[in-house]
Amino acid sequence: MTTCLRILDRDALPTPKDEQWKYTHLGRALGARLLNVQPLAQQQILVHKTVGEICKEPEKIVWKGEAGNHYQSRFEIVLEDGAQATIVEFHEGEGAYWKNMSTEIVLGANARLNHIRIQKDSVDAVQTNMVHISMERDSHLNSFSINLGGKLTRHDIHAVLNGSGAQCQLNGVNLLKGQQHGDTTIIVEHVAPHCVSNQFYRSLLDDKAHGVFQGKVHVHRGAQKTDGYQLANTILLSPMAKMATKPELEIYADDVKCSHGTTTGALDEEPLFYLRSRGLNESQARMLLIQAFIDEVIGKITDSSIQTRIKDMVAEWLKKQLN
Amino acid sequence: MININNLHACVETADGEAKEIIKGLNLEIKSGEVHAIMGPNGVGKSTLSYVLSGRDGYNVTDGSVELDGVDLLKLNPEERAALGVFLAFQYPVEIPGVNMNVFLKAAVNALRKQRGENELDALGMLKLIKGKSKELGISDDMMRRTVNVGFSGGEKKRNEILQMAMLEPKFCILDETDSGLDIDAIKVVADGVNKLRSPDRSFLVITHYQRLLDYIKPDIVHVMADGKIVKTGGPELALELEEKGYAEFLKAEEQEKAA
Repeated sequence: MTTCLRILDRDALPTPKDEQWKYTHLGRALGARLLNVQPLAQQQILVHKTVGEICKEPEKIVWKGEAGNHYQSRFEIVLEDGAQATIVEFHEGEGAYWKNMSTEIVLGANARLNHIRIQKDSVDAVQTNMVHISMERDSHLNSFSINLGGKLTRHDIHAVLNGSGAQCQLNGVNLLKGQQHGDTTIIVEHVAPHCVSNQFYRSLLDDKAHGVFQGKVHVHRGAQKTDGYQLANTILLSPMAKMATKPELEIYADDVKCSHGTTTGALDEEPLFYLRSRGLNESQARMLLIQAFIDEVIGKITDSSIQTRIKDMVAEWLKKQLN
Repeated sequence: MININNLHACVETADGEAKEIIKGLNLEIKSGEVHAIMGPNGVGKSTLSYVLSGRDGYNVTDGSVELDGVDLLKLNPEERAALGVFLAFQYPVEIPGVNMNVFLKAAVNALRKQRGENELDALGMLKLIKGKSKELGISDDMMRRTVNVGFSGGEKKRNEILQMAMLEPKFCILDETDSGLDIDAIKVVADGVNKLRSPDRSFLVITHYQRLLDYIKPDIVHVMADGKIVKTGGPELALELEEKGYAEFLKAEEQEKAA
């Protein structure tokens, strides 16, 4: 477990023999070239909001990547009691590099964080991002992540709900094509009672893309009145695309509400025919249905201008893939 | 208007085999006429509606269908819609995540584009939607919801008629539009249809029950059995059917087969 929380050790990489890494072969994606590069000195960005500090404007943090590098990066977002912020984390780069990141999110009592992560790394890049979230009483996290780039990406989220009344929303969209591999692995630990957690992920996989979603809700003894929800839907746009999903609930309390569901398949024929019978051609109909499928997750972002920007990115991706 | 000649059609079954459902059906509907097709379950009524609207998986093996002299069977569903074919679905499909306004706008403009007309701007669209939805007693609230998701049976069918009114078709097929509706809902739907009746628009009303035909008065009634039309008459035929049931027609059909 602890390997998920720290920057991955170059000399002791997880392999598909580890249960948590069953579907993702990191060593193969890195190859000798990236594995043998010495890591650059650790980069660190710290966002710290003091007690009661309220930041209305979104703050943008850019993580760049350059060919041939191995980055070990640490990203810390600390919101003290009652602080509020919107952080946009943006990833981009060129060529083959390895971004090996550790993200730490600490929310004090009653803190509110909107965290938007836009991952547009280069198609030759590898990103491993180990996220650790700890939430105190009545804190709210609304997190949204879109994965567009990378040859192989692993977004590993470990959220611990320590204080009662904490609400943790983890939403995400994966748009993968070519031979991209995108892995989202989540563990939400309900330690305190009366907490809400919600995972809502949707993926579109085209060509030979490979998606992974492993989501677990762990309700500890005593975490009564937990409300845990998990949903992962995938549309396969090509017969060669593959998705592995593993939803899990582990519950040690007896008064909780938990549910999970996953679906994977091609686009439904019935709505497609319904739209075509109303005059939309096949590509218009597919576009409308797929866009709506993704927009339902994007709709969870509270900031409307960020919402619009992300919808545009999705539309651009779809235009390229569907036409 | 529409000419169906010796139509034979197959449906692909789950195990990939073709099963013939429509077995030599003939039908001619002239401009402005309303025809009803009645028959028990499983005789091919819904299959006929899908064949006419061009759904995948329904293959025509023989015969022809022409709308104003144009061969419909060569066209895909959206091209048929542009020519003026409209199917009011027996089970209107839920379109998750797509709001009613977005859907109607997309449909109206897709058809206008295909028909070589200018696309409507936001204001023009709003006016059109407001006007038509008011006539059908459709609330603004319903227009903000997702297409057919969580709609009641009556709302779904009213939504079909709303689309029919907005897309201005020439040939409308109503597939068991009365199924699952109470009498008040049937009246609303029938009113909507009656308003659309015009000398250059024809209707094919597929139904199980005579009741709908009390409100949408047909010019001609057909009885369908085993993939074809076995009897044709005036509106009085519907009443006769309601009284005697379908058994007699089916029996006659069987005897004919035996002979």
